Amino acid sequence: MLPTDLIPESRKRLGRGLVWLASLVLLAVFVGQGLYKAELTSFGFDTWQPLIYFYVLWGIALGAGQVMTRGEDGYKALFLLPAVLFTIAMVVFPTLFGFYIAMTDWNLSSFSGRTFNGLDNFWQMLGDAYYRNALINMLIYVAAISVEYVIAFGLALLLNAQIRARKFFRVVFLLPLMLSPVAVSWMIGKSLMEYRFGPLARLFRWLGWDTPAFFASPVSAKISIMVLDAWTFIPFMMIMLLAGLQAMPRDVLEAAKVDGANAWQTFWGVIFPLMLPVSLTAVILRIIFKLKLADIVITVTSGGPGGATDSITSFIYREYRDRSNVGYGTMLAMVYLILIIIFVTLLLKLANRFVRNVT
Amino acid sequence: MKVGLYNQLVRAGATRRDVLRGAASLAALSAASGAGLGALTGAASAQDDLRMQILKIPGVGMGQPTDADFQKVGELCLGATKANVAEGEFAGVELTFMGLNNQNLHNVLFRGFLKPWEAYTGAKINWIDLAQADYNARLQQSIATGTVDFDLIEMGAPFEGDVCGKGLTSEMPDWVKTQIDMDDVVGYLQPPVGTWDGKTYRVTVDGDAHNFNYRTDVFSDADLAEAWKSHDDKAGLETWGVPTTWQQVQATTKFLKGKQVAGQDAFGYLDAPKAWGGFGFYFLGSRASAYAKHPDDKAWLFDADTMKPRINNPAWVRAIQDVIDALPSEPADQLNADPNTTAFQQFLAGTGSMVVWWGDVGSNVKTNDSSVVGDVTGFSILPGSDDVYNSKTGAWETLASGPNYAPNCAYLGWGVYVMARVDSDEKKKKAAWSAAAHLGGKDLSIWTAMYPSGFQPYRNSHFNIPEWVAAGYDEAFITSYLNSEKDSYNHPNAAVEPRIPGIFQYYSVAEDELAKIFAGQMSAQEGADNIAAAWEKITDQIGRENQIKLYKASLGM
Repeated sequence: MLPTDLIPESRKRLGRGLVWLASLVLLAVFVGQGLYKAELTSFGFDTWQPLIYFYVLWGIALGAGQVMTRGEDGYKALFLLPAVLFTIAMVVFPTLFGFYIAMTDWNLSSFSGRTFNGLDNFWQMLGDAYYRNALINMLIYVAAISVEYVIAFGLALLLNAQIRARKFFRVVFLLPLMLSPVAVSWMIGKSLMEYRFGPLARLFRWLGWDTPAFFASPVSAKISIMVLDAWTFIPFMMIMLLAGLQAMPRDVLEAAKVDGANAWQTFWGVIFPLMLPVSLTAVILRIIFKLKLADIVITVTSGGPGGATDSITSFIYREYRDRSNVGYGTMLAMVYLILIIIFVTLLLKLANRFVRNVT
Repeated sequence: MKVGLYNQLVRAGATRRDVLRGAASLAALSAASGAGLGALTGAASAQDDLRMQILKIPGVGMGQPTDADFQKVGELCLGATKANVAEGEFAGVELTFMGLNNQNLHNVLFRGFLKPWEAYTGAKINWIDLAQADYNARLQQSIATGTVDFDLIEMGAPFEGDVCGKGLTSEMPDWVKTQIDMDDVVGYLQPPVGTWDGKTYRVTVDGDAHNFNYRTDVFSDADLAEAWKSHDDKAGLETWGVPTTWQQVQATTKFLKGKQVAGQDAFGYLDAPKAWGGFGFYFLGSRASAYAKHPDDKAWLFDADTMKPRINNPAWVRAIQDVIDALPSEPADQLNADPNTTAFQQFLAGTGSMVVWWGDVGSNVKTNDSSVVGDVTGFSILPGSDDVYNSKTGAWETLASGPNYAPNCAYLGWGVYVMARVDSDEKKKKAAWSAAAHLGGKDLSIWTAMYPSGFQPYRNSHFNIPEWVAAGYDEAFITSYLNSEKDSYNHPNAAVEPRIPGIFQYYSVAEDELAKIFAGQMSAQEGADNIAAAWEKITDQIGRENQIKLYKASLGM
């Protein structure tokens, strides 16, 4: 292995030439295939698949070129290059291609196939009452995390205390998280909460609610979906908060005790502020999970009644899968992606500032 | 035969004596009838012997058929293939068959049926098995991306617009029509079903239609009959009994609210307002067909000349309004009920006294573990209507013949189609069509109708009740059930599925709007107008001119 400065110029030229040649070949194949698919030339491949092989060959040439032109540094780059190229192929390119698809009119049943339509899908989305309704629902769903947080904190405090069978309860409380949301939907939403024979429905009848139809009115359906989702994910927040509580320095708590603080004062003056970084991490991760809410909605209510429980993802699912409206569905997904990125970025900034100010 | 119906007989423990008794009945009937069954037995044909022979494999009540049984049936039914194909004629040919594997049926049976065919012809078949939920997406993606990687496909007629309409299928040769005896297929599955622009593409292997399932105990209850006498809105049902029109369904549904039968709360009709991946729209269709399908007009969902939706015309709006009006009299959680709930969690469990469904309710009432209505369920075609809307004149009409009936032939059953990619190779094309014809053969079909296969009867010859009784079926039950199917299939004013591209997109978007209407967010007319606007958008997106052409073709216009 040679340091860069000891590599002969001829070898460097050869390396650069190899990379250039490979790049030109890849570009030529890409352009040629594009022209063929646009029916502007008569030769090309039936599918785009061979382009992957050219991409791999280009990657190999790029790696060889790195070694030839940069010596030891090139070898170091070889460790990273496969992962970078893989990420480009599997993440970056599909995302960019997704943006392109979002700007096409592409209904799988359409006779004209895929046609570029610029921002038409975006303008359509702005006037789409279903998308707007789903966005509002998402805000409500996200707001419900504050209640989930309180419950999770309470449970974490309980499981952190010296209670009987503490380990058993820790495992039991984690069980919902281990279940697939689809299983939760069937077990609870469609069985326990079933209007006729569901034990929960019977319990509520016994408690005086004559018609315990959990999913028949917009309000009760929304609350029921939130409860189902909360039941699944509260353990996730709880376990993070429990870890935070257990990592909390004992001496601070003891100092508070020595200073004569009661339990309430200790919680608000010591525990809660010290737990803020962990709390914010738990809440932000929970928000990210919540923004993906779909499976429970699709399985239990199909977004109903009248869109009351629809989430963005469940709406996109219907638009994309049931209606084969690929272009518009992709636009909805891409806009949602951008909204999530903006929202989470702002949230992280605010959270950091908040934690800094408080602590 | 649906699995449930077969299991019913298995559980009922039909014995060899039952079978023999049934056979004796058949012989007696045959002897007595020179014009009817006599024609079947007169020649004492080898075909009759063959049918009796295959129906003993493994024998009704003798347990679930196995792959060995499928192969035996396939082997015994090879006669028609042998008449058209020489032994080893397709040596070296490889075919790919894409189909379903629901409940271990469909492709699983096809494999067994085709093994003897492969051995005889020398062809080899590769299989692509799909779950129902993956089927639509896989098919649409294959079409859209031009990657049709199969030679034969098991497909429902509603997809014909997407597939046949795009020239992806091979036209059926005449020898296949003869081999499968296409004339025997029930009326509603005859062309235009399975055809586009006059060309035939489909080997039918199944039939589908919505029928009307009702509770005989509720509609013969003496207390209710007494109370009905003083009820104001009878909608023409002067004596308490099974409603025969939707007006009567509405009246009885409202009447039953708050009543009890045998100590249980009674409910009338069960609507399915919750979206169900597009399939829920069929159930509004069943409520609307008698209002919207005029005997003089083949179209009922769109204007055939313009593809202008009819969903917001007075007929459909009345059907939507019926649901709105009936919901307060239905169980409290009805708004969250999809068709799966109405049939299997409500009707079979004893809630509700009327439900519309495919034949599955009939095949489950006595076999499903949760069913409590096995002995109190009756079947008929869909209710009619006192008047019918004429889209051409824009007026409601009362027919001189009485109520208008229009059974909703929803989904039209499964068929086997050969893809156009085999057309360039004559040997492969003949092999593919031979395989399809074997699966849709007349004799083999009676076996699939009687045993668990996922397929319902679809030929006139399937409704020869003595043949079922001879095979071990209970006569009264099978007669009632088969008649409801047969009368739906053969009805002269049957409402036929519009087989146009993207039909489930129309249904799916309608479900979203209907959910809003039923949740009280808008009126029936306003919601129907929204559906019509959304449908217009879909039509424009898919291509209006082509849709018009294909819609007309699908209606045989």
